[in-house]
Amino acid sequence: MSTTPPRPHPVPEGLPAAVRQALAVAEPRHGAHAGLTSDLTIDETLILHSIAWAPRDLVVGLSVQSVPSVIWSWGSGEIELASRAHARAFAHAVARLHAEAVAVGAHGVVGVHVERRILSSHIEVELVGTAVAPIDARPLPDAQVFVSDLPARDFALLFVAGWRPVALAVGASFTYAPRRAVGAALRQQTQNVELTNYTEALYSARATAMERMQRAALDAHGAGIVDVTVTEGPLHFAAHAIGFTAWGTVVTPTPNARSIDPITTVSLDDTVSAFDVASLA
Amino acid sequence: MSDDLPEAARDRLHGGAFTSGLSVADLAACHAMGLEPIGLVQGFCAMQWGYGPARMGFGSGGGLGMGLATGLAPNVASGGYVQNYQCPHGMVSAEHRQWGQNYEQTWIEQSWHDGYAAASHRMLEEATTLGAHGVVGVVDSVASLVEVGVVEFHLLGTAVVVTGLERPASPWATSLAGQRLAKLFEAGYAPVSTIAVVSSVRVWASCMTEYFMGSGAGLWSAPADSVEIDQLVSARTRARQLVRERARSQLQGDELHGVDLRVNEREPGPGDIDIEVQLRGNRVRRARPADPLAFPRPAVSLS
Repeated sequence: MSTTPPRPHPVPEGLPAAVRQALAVAEPRHGAHAGLTSDLTIDETLILHSIAWAPRDLVVGLSVQSVPSVIWSWGSGEIELASRAHARAFAHAVARLHAEAVAVGAHGVVGVHVERRILSSHIEVELVGTAVAPIDARPLPDAQVFVSDLPARDFALLFVAGWRPVALAVGASFTYAPRRAVGAALRQQTQNVELTNYTEALYSARATAMERMQRAALDAHGAGIVDVTVTEGPLHFAAHAIGFTAWGTVVTPTPNARSIDPITTVSLDDTVSAFDVASLA
Repeated sequence: MSDDLPEAARDRLHGGAFTSGLSVADLAACHAMGLEPIGLVQGFCAMQWGYGPARMGFGSGGGLGMGLATGLAPNVASGGYVQNYQCPHGMVSAEHRQWGQNYEQTWIEQSWHDGYAAASHRMLEEATTLGAHGVVGVVDSVASLVEVGVVEFHLLGTAVVVTGLERPASPWATSLAGQRLAKLFEAGYAPVSTIAVVSSVRVWASCMTEYFMGSGAGLWSAPADSVEIDQLVSARTRARQLVRERARSQLQGDELHGVDLRVNEREPGPGDIDIEVQLRGNRVRRARPADPLAFPRPAVSLS
């Protein structure tokens, strides 16, 4: 049997006692949360507990929408079919995630990971998150169950500040960057010049997508959107198409809204002298 | 001491110095919890996938399955998820797919399960040999080995003993270590085991799925609107349901925390997709009623 070195410090009584007490329980407790699954870290679970919420189950929603591949090549203005397909893919994925959350009696879904693939023939959206609810709470009416991509920590902070998440708002637009005239392309070949067709396409896609996302927030009766994720740029399979997508969590204040009062801390660690041996030479 | 272990392994495990995969911070946290590391324990298993329908003829290599083109629904392993999609067009040509099918590749799932379970059992056997109460910081890898169809499962963790506690019949295991494990105990949970499950679903595309997923959807005509590709949505949804159901079936009243859901897909042809979903997590047991911490005080750090 291997031996262990002498303990450098005495063992604190509190924690080892908690460890022994926990490990002595041989049988599972068949309580209200028996059989739950969650992708939250232990820190996130503890912070949820601190506001008297708990995870209910891991929930998933996905959708795949077809897109005819010819639509990406030629045209002007918005590629409406692609924008519509993207909106539907998100809407169907959110609806399926929401239905799974409702089925386990959750009041919402937090920490939703958004996975997207935009290909010439189809658009895929997959959402994975953890359904949560106040401990021992009854189910809410379906329409009041929220979906949010805020991590559990941010959800708890929002909750303590008296705000609540309402929904996930998404806006997307795909727009043609028109081809330049042959003469213009030849003239500009050796020049440093702004390609206004791309710049204008980006601005156009951005304006449309942001307007759609804000419209979604208003439709959900939200006061604003936080933690907005923006993706933009050309598509790898279509040189003259620009995509702009934005999504975030719609939030609204409750009657208990208040400002939080954080304490200010200053770290006394000197990271340079502590970790950079070269600095000591 | 187990007779299954090689002599060299027995000698190594009887050595005077402990080995561990713990960082210094995790080692310090272990000492604070009253856990003493006693050895780095590992388990290996190399598995070859058995012969299922994909290897027995129809459609192997990514081409159009004969069963699909001849209008006969292919036979698949029984007992798993199966969903058929019939061509709405009737007989168009010999190459036209008259059937599509989603089916669960139960033989792959069984092989994966057997390989993972064997590697896990071997790791825990080493821990038992050392007289451990549990194994912390468990990590695993599942990777192709040597040739196509051979997969290596490898689990590794640090065996620990708990000061002042009777040894359990079988060691518990968790991927947590250090502060995260300490927080788990403080929250009133006890680690039970690591859980890893897999689902494998094969999509043999119907004519419509093939059309939508391939370039043909753009060349022949441009539909006025997008449509949902039902066959693919059903297969992907079912694959994710299967792993979650499988994980829940192993909990027996406990909870599964820190779930990691990984998806691997291979697309040999338009719409023909191999979907593999792996789910890992820590099975934990609530040892005492929840005693929530006070909400932490928000802080702003000046640097």
